[in-house]
Amino acid sequence: MQNLRRASQWLVFLVFVFLFLNTEYKDNDVLAYAVNIFLRLDPLVAGAAVLAGRAVITLVWPALVVVGLTLILGRFFCGWFCPLGSVLDFTSATVFRKLKRRTQVPESWRRAKYLLLAFLFASSLFTLQFVFLLDPISIIIRSFTAAVYPAMNYVINSTLGPLYATPVAPVTEPVYGFLQRHFLAFEQPHFRMAGLIGFIFFGILAAEYFQRRFWCRNLCPLGAMLGLLGRSGIVKRRVSEPDCISCGRCERDCRMGAVEKDFFTTGRADCIDCMDCRAVCPEDAISFTGGVAAKGAGLDLSRRGVLTSLAIGAAAVPLFGSEAYRKSADPSLIRPPGALAEDEFLARCTRCGECMRVCIANGLQPSLFEAGLPGLWSPVLAPRIGYCEYNCTLCGQVCPTGAIKRLPLEEKKKVKLGLAEVDRDHCLPWKGDSECIVCEEHCPTDKKAIRLRDETVVTMYGETRSFKRPYVDEGLCVGCGICETKCPLTDRSAIFVTSRGESRADAPMLM
Amino acid sequence: MDYKFDRRAFLKGAATCSLAATGLNLVDGMDPLGIMGGAWAADARPLIAVAKNGAPAQMARASVMAVGGMGRYVKKGDVVVVKPNIGWDRTPELAANTNPDVVKEVVKMCLEAGAKKVRVMDRTCNDPRRCYKRSGIADAVESIGDPAVTVEHIDERRFVTLPIKKGGSLESWTFCQDMLDADRLINVPIAKHHNAARLTMSLKNIMGCLGGNRGNIHHDLDGNIAALNTVMKFDLIVMDAVRVLTANGPQGGKTKDVKVLNTVVAGTDPVAVDAFGATLFGITANDVPHVMNAARLGLGVADLAKIKIKTIDLG
Repeated sequence: MQNLRRASQWLVFLVFVFLFLNTEYKDNDVLAYAVNIFLRLDPLVAGAAVLAGRAVITLVWPALVVVGLTLILGRFFCGWFCPLGSVLDFTSATVFRKLKRRTQVPESWRRAKYLLLAFLFASSLFTLQFVFLLDPISIIIRSFTAAVYPAMNYVINSTLGPLYATPVAPVTEPVYGFLQRHFLAFEQPHFRMAGLIGFIFFGILAAEYFQRRFWCRNLCPLGAMLGLLGRSGIVKRRVSEPDCISCGRCERDCRMGAVEKDFFTTGRADCIDCMDCRAVCPEDAISFTGGVAAKGAGLDLSRRGVLTSLAIGAAAVPLFGSEAYRKSADPSLIRPPGALAEDEFLARCTRCGECMRVCIANGLQPSLFEAGLPGLWSPVLAPRIGYCEYNCTLCGQVCPTGAIKRLPLEEKKKVKLGLAEVDRDHCLPWKGDSECIVCEEHCPTDKKAIRLRDETVVTMYGETRSFKRPYVDEGLCVGCGICETKCPLTDRSAIFVTSRGESRADAPMLM
Repeated sequence: MDYKFDRRAFLKGAATCSLAATGLNLVDGMDPLGIMGGAWAADARPLIAVAKNGAPAQMARASVMAVGGMGRYVKKGDVVVVKPNIGWDRTPELAANTNPDVVKEVVKMCLEAGAKKVRVMDRTCNDPRRCYKRSGIADAVESIGDPAVTVEHIDERRFVTLPIKKGGSLESWTFCQDMLDADRLINVPIAKHHNAARLTMSLKNIMGCLGGNRGNIHHDLDGNIAALNTVMKFDLIVMDAVRVLTANGPQGGKTKDVKVLNTVVAGTDPVAVDAFGATLFGITANDVPHVMNAARLGLGVADLAKIKIKTIDLG
């Protein structure tokens, strides 16, 4: 059974990687796979989005399957399925293989995950969704998207890439070509905050130094949720008392520290059905079966702690709700096409990074503080980095919670992300420096939103010359930002998009 | 590094001979088949062929046949780069990219002429994958099913900086090495409206051979297009005018701006091809400054009276 579990972990992780690699345009306007399925299976994401978003979200129905199975099997998800859990196990089994862990992590730390869950529940209940910070599936996809995968691309591109011009090219080029076809991104991805997001991810991995599954034991709110749901599940760890010789190996080897010192009692909210104990037991005294006779440990939770967490969660709502961004939104807060109205959007968005991963021009970026702290890492279009491809609908296809609506192409083309504006003090033909027209050329709308007018200018040398100057037709501009991306000026763009006039704004546009 | 290629030296020689022949003012009629353009012909006028009113593939073939057949340009064992215009994420009926059937037929003719390898590539404006796919060019070329044919994305590592000695405001620019390295380079542009250059045809199609931030070329587009064409030259031009974009170019987006002309033009003189191309839009080379600049730099003949035009009506 232990081998079966390992096989399951590997298989699920490979599927995870396969779907991750396929969260990219592959010559097809519609993605071939449900690449967001891991997030849609996640009851924490589903629960928070439904609770905070005040909506029935049919997209996340698969989470009910996980809830149902957890009621029967306990916290199996963590031991058999969770890709982050598998990465942690792999880290312990490789990097920390020979490590003798001397530090004792206090048992009481386990409580933290329940307190975090309580905090998240209370804040979500009052529409403030902080689940994104701690949900393991969001963490792993976001980290892979913004940090791990770009870093991997960077390493390969900068080592194998330049060798094409050297004598070893006949060896390296086929390898590089193979990697490009199957593993590398079409173009090197670049993300804001890659360093920070990656640092947190590797921090979670590094915590294995203190304890196996440190994250899962102490911090993971999804683990806490599944533990609470599954503690009275039918399938449980049972020890046959006549057979047990009290050798203690099960207690010593438990990756979750879920076996009590008496070896019979199991911390049920922590047992992840990994079945290591069953494998190491020299007397085959341990089984994972249904039935009644099994000793379970109670939850070591104080009512006061839980209530405090709930109170903090609730108190966070007015604290963040009165942040300044709520009064005057940042003009660079340009949301993906099909994004819901801001409050609803943030309530649902779990910052998983799927939309940023799939964005064909690398334009969707994790936000800094454009939407305040509660909006951290939510997707914003950063047109100087990349634009929204006019004929592309991929971000709406991958959003697991419907924070970005899945729109048919014809509808998507009508969505205004914002409006472009020419910086006339910076634009070459406006200043009378030279011709340009690059923004107009790239403007994708059927009738050009950027149009040129031949106008006479007196240049700085006193010559009278005629230049084609760009004007933006605000009725036609969709705010895709390709003009800002392609503006040939090497510093800031002379044409830029702001969120003004965006379709999802509740208030009428101020012209 | 000195990038000298047989192909280019060959062309240079050809141009010199052509000039010499012009000087001698040789009489027309010494080339009864009318297939010998440029240097080899007794008739010193550059030859272009215009095929009309057929299917795109048929016109592509007929026009190339009329300028001597592909065998004249591609030799057995050559590595050929075919350079269409695949600039935009647009479908064929919007006439923003070269007609896929024209590209496919050119590739097929290269194979028939014995090319060892035919590589199709362009440096696009929208996402390259979307452009290759939605233009229909990748699918059309791949449908040939010959392993000697590859549709490739531009390898961004492989650009070399070359000096630009004549014309324009640029001192140097980066050029695609794969195209420079090819034994034969075939230009397969589409003729269409362009808001800055007026029209984009064979000369302007060189933009897809360039690296770097091409927006900077637009500061003196008319001068720079001509200047860039003095550095990199094409062995053959097969210009698609099956559907042409008459407004909102180069990207278009409305079928209302598209006019069906059912024409394909072939030739080796880019200025002559473009000068003829201008007439398809009801204007002349005089109205397209970059074509006149190219003529001034000695890249070809813009005066239609001095061009020999063979018309093949397939209708």
